[in-house]
Amino acid sequence: MALSSFFRSPPLVFTTATLLRAIFLLYGLRQDANSPMKYTDIDYFVFTDAARFISYGQSPYARDTYRYTPLLAWMIYPTTWLGTFWFSSGKILFAVGDVVAGWMMYRILREYKSLEKERALKFASIWLLNPMVATISTRGSSEGLLGVFVTALLWAVLAKKMVLAGLLLGFAVHFKIYPFIYAASIVWWLDEMKTGRAESDVKSRVQGSTLDQLLAFINLQRIKLAVASIVTFAILNAGMYQIYGWPFLEHSYFYHLSRIDHRHNFSPYNTLLYLNSSPGGSQSTFELERLAFVPQLLLSAVMIPLALAKKDLPSTMLAQTFAFVTFNKVCTSQYFLWYMMFLPYYLPGSILLRSRTAGLAALAAWIVGQATWLQQGFQLEFNGHSTFVPGLWLSSIAFFVVNVGILGVIIHDTRLRGERAVTAKKKKL
Amino acid sequence: MKQRITYVVTEPESFTPEQISVQKRKNGNGDTFTLKGVHAAKEHRITLGLDELSQAPINIEVLKKWHELHIRWASDFPDSVTAPFTSRVSPGLHIFFTPSTEAKNPDLCRDIRSLFSDTYSPIKCTTSHETAIKIPMLSERFSMSTALQYYSPFSEDDWDASKIAEWFQNMTGADSSASYIDIDYDAISQAVIFTVVWSHAPNKKGWTESVYVPEDESTVEIGVLSHEPNTDPEDVQFGGFLTMLGRDDKPKPTRFQTPTRHYPLLTPESFNPNTTPKLSPLTYTTSINRPTGLHPTLTLTLPSEHLTAPDPTCKLHTYLTLPSALFIDKYQFSDPLFLTSKNLIALRSIAGATDLEAPDWVVPQWGSASLFELASPSSSAADTEASAPPSSGDWNVSIPLHLRYLPASPTPHTPISIPWPVVFWVCRADEGEKHSLNPFDRKHLGYEALFGPKTRFMHVQPARERGADEEYKRLVETIDVPVLDTQKAGMVEMGTVGVVVLAFLGLCWVLFGKVGGKEAADKMKKKQ
Repeated sequence: MALSSFFRSPPLVFTTATLLRAIFLLYGLRQDANSPMKYTDIDYFVFTDAARFISYGQSPYARDTYRYTPLLAWMIYPTTWLGTFWFSSGKILFAVGDVVAGWMMYRILREYKSLEKERALKFASIWLLNPMVATISTRGSSEGLLGVFVTALLWAVLAKKMVLAGLLLGFAVHFKIYPFIYAASIVWWLDEMKTGRAESDVKSRVQGSTLDQLLAFINLQRIKLAVASIVTFAILNAGMYQIYGWPFLEHSYFYHLSRIDHRHNFSPYNTLLYLNSSPGGSQSTFELERLAFVPQLLLSAVMIPLALAKKDLPSTMLAQTFAFVTFNKVCTSQYFLWYMMFLPYYLPGSILLRSRTAGLAALAAWIVGQATWLQQGFQLEFNGHSTFVPGLWLSSIAFFVVNVGILGVIIHDTRLRGERAVTAKKKKL
Repeated sequence: MKQRITYVVTEPESFTPEQISVQKRKNGNGDTFTLKGVHAAKEHRITLGLDELSQAPINIEVLKKWHELHIRWASDFPDSVTAPFTSRVSPGLHIFFTPSTEAKNPDLCRDIRSLFSDTYSPIKCTTSHETAIKIPMLSERFSMSTALQYYSPFSEDDWDASKIAEWFQNMTGADSSASYIDIDYDAISQAVIFTVVWSHAPNKKGWTESVYVPEDESTVEIGVLSHEPNTDPEDVQFGGFLTMLGRDDKPKPTRFQTPTRHYPLLTPESFNPNTTPKLSPLTYTTSINRPTGLHPTLTLTLPSEHLTAPDPTCKLHTYLTLPSALFIDKYQFSDPLFLTSKNLIALRSIAGATDLEAPDWVVPQWGSASLFELASPSSSAADTEASAPPSSGDWNVSIPLHLRYLPASPTPHTPISIPWPVVFWVCRADEGEKHSLNPFDRKHLGYEALFGPKTRFMHVQPARERGADEEYKRLVETIDVPVLDTQKAGMVEMGTVGVVVLAFLGLCWVLFGKVGGKEAADKMKKKQ
C-alpha cells in the first residue's frame, strides 16, 4: 500500500531518485578521500585529465585512452577548477542528466503510451531508481549522459519536432556513433504520421508506380530530419576537426574501426578475435570475423526498423539497440545501459510482464549468463587460470544465445502487439 | 691494447704482501705477476683502439654506425659485492646508444643477434629504431646520457652460450661466470673498453694465477687494493699495490681517495678511521604476489631495521626494467592515498612501451623503464609526526603492474620473466663534477641519467637467498601468463560463426516469418 502511494507522487519519486544519486555521490567522495580503492570510475579520470589539457590550451587527446568527442571534455570543463566540489561537478552533471532522462521517460510514457500516473512512474523507475544506473553516473561514466540525448531524441520524434530531432540525432551520433541506427527506424516510422493524409490515400499510393512510391517516401518530415541531422553532424565534426585536427578523427572514430578488441569481454566474437589477431593463433585465412558488422548492421539498422518501426517506435529502438549490443565485436556491462533506457516503453503490457514465467525466465537467464561469464572472467583476471577456452568462450556464446532469445521475444512480441493494434483499429472502424 | 686488472681484497685482515710477486725475465719481456690464494673481487679491463679490433668479435663497421654504444650485461645470480663494484643494473642485457649522425637508418638488432647469438631465449628486436626506447632527457643541452635504450632478458646460460663470451674467456683466461660485463665505445675516444667483474675467485681458495704481457706493444697494469676508511662522506679510499708489468720490479705501494658516483652503502661505524669499512647488511627481495592474475603486484621487501637514510639528503628509489609483456599505468600513481598505501612517494620517470591497451604482439618496443621514489620508515614517520616506528619487521613496497595479452599458444600458459629491479639511495654530491675522474667510475646504467650531475648513488644489494633446492635464488621472477590455448581452440572459429549465423537466421525468421498464427489468435479471443 505504502509502495503504491509512493508511485502515485511524481515529486516523491523524483526526489528519491535525486537523493539516491546524492547519497551515492557523497558516499563516493568519502570512499575516494579515505581509501586507496576508488569509487570514481577510471574513465572519469580520463575525462577530467582531458578537460585539464583543454584548460592548458592543449588537445584533450594528449590524454591516453581519451576516445570521445572534445565536447565531452568541454562539458565538464568546471572539473578543472580547484576543489573537490568542482572536480565532482562532472558527476553531478551526469547524475542530473540521468534524472532528466528519467523525467522525459515519464512524460513520454504519460503522453505517448497513455499510461496512468502510477504505472508511468513505476516504469520510469526502472531507470530512475535503478541502482546500476545511479552507480554508473555517480562514478563518473558518461553513458548516462547519452541517455538524456537519446531519450530527448525519442521525445522530439514522437512530438513531431523534426528539426530538434535532427539536431539531437546528429549530436548523438557525433557523441557516440551507434545512435545512427535510430535514423533508420525514425525515418521508416515517419511515414505513419504523414500529417493530414487519410489511410485510403496511403493505400492508393501503394498501388502506384515506383516513382510515386519514392516521391511519397520523401516527405517534409523526413527531409527536415535528414537535413537537420546531417548538418549538425557535419558542423560538429568539421568544427572539431578544425580545432583538434587528425587526432580527433583518429581517436573518436577510426580507433573504433581498427581496434582489435582482444581483451576478454561479453562479445561472442571475443575469443575468435583474440585467436585471429594473435600471431600463430589461427591457420584460417578467411578472417570471417571481419564480416561481423554484416549481421549486426543488417539487423539493427535495416531489418528491425523495416519490420517493426511502423508498429511501435520505442520498442523498435529497444530491439535495434539490443541487437547492436548483442552482435557487437566488443561488449561490456556499460553497454547494457544503452538498451536499458528503452525498457520502460516496451515493458508495459509486454509478454515479459504478462507471462510471469516468460519474464522471470528471461531475467534469470540474462543474470545467470552474465554471472557465469563473470565467474570465468574472475578466474582469468584475478587467479590467472587460462579460462579462455572453453570457459570464457562457451559462456560468452551462452550469454549471446540468451540475448538473442530475449531479442527474439521482444521482436515477436512487438510484431504481435502491432498486428493486434491494427486489428483493434479496424474493428473500431 | 691496454689491460688493467684490479683485485680488491675481500678479507684485508688475512691478506699479506707475500701473496703477490713479480717474476722478471730478460728485457722485461715475458714478465709475470703471480697471486697466491688472494680472496678478492676482480675487475679486468681491456682497452682496444679501433685499429686493434681485429682481435675482438666486434666489427669496426658495426661500431661506426654509433656515436656512443654502451653494453651492460648483469648476471641473474646473486653475488656478494665489494666496493667499488657496488653499482647495479637489473639482470639481463642492456644497451645504451646514440646513433651516429652520419649513419643512415643504423640498426642494432642484427649486430645483437650475431654477437649474442640467441640460442636459449629469443631476443625481441625487430629494428633498433622501433624496438629501442628514448631515454627521457633532463636537459637537452647538458645531457650526459645516450639517446636510446635497449634491453633483453639474458641469463647466465644465455651469456655463456654467446659468441662474445668465448672471446672474453680467451682474453681474461677465466672460466668462471662474471657478475657483470660492460662494453663501452664512443666515437670521440676511438676505443672500445671491455670490463669484466667477478665478485670472488672461482674457488674457495682465492685467486691463484699468473698474469703476463701477451705481446710487445701492450701494457698491463695490475692493482691489488683494499677498501679503506675515509672521513670524507663523499670519498672512497683504497690502499694497496700497483704494478706496471714489464716496467716494475715489484708491486709498488699506493693509496688514493676519490669522490665516487656509486658510493658503497656502509654501516654507520665505517666512518671510524681505525676500522675497515663494512657494507651495510641492508638487502632487498623481490616477489610477485600470488595468484598473479592479469594484474601482478611486484613487492620489494626490505628489513626496516637497516632502512635508514645514510645521509639526510638521501631518498630511496627503485628502477624497473620491464619487458613489454608487462606495463605500468602511470595514471594510477597520482593519488596520494594510493601511493601511501603502497609505500611509494611518486613515479618519477617512465619511458618506453606505456600503451595501456595494446596486446604484446603489436608493441614494437622491448618494454619500459621506470623510476619510483619509495617511502622509507623514517620518511613516513616524519610525515605523520608519529613516534619513531618500530625498527623491526619488514618494510614492503608494492608496485602494481599489468599484463598485456600474449599470443595464443599450444599451451594454456606462457611463462615470462621479470628481472628484479635495482634499489638505491639517491643523495646529494657536492663533488659530483669530479665523479668521472674516479678510475672505477661507471655510467650509462639508465637511471643515473635521470638525475643531475651532483648526485651520488648508494646501492642496496639484492638478498642472497637459497631456494628449496639449496641453490641461490635467481634475481628473476617468473610468472605464468594465461593465454588462449590453441589446442583447445579448434572449435572456436566454426563454433562462433555457426552460432552467429544461426542466431541471425533465427531472428530473420522472427522478424519476417508469419506472426502469431492460430494459437495467438485463439488466445486473444479467450482473453476478450
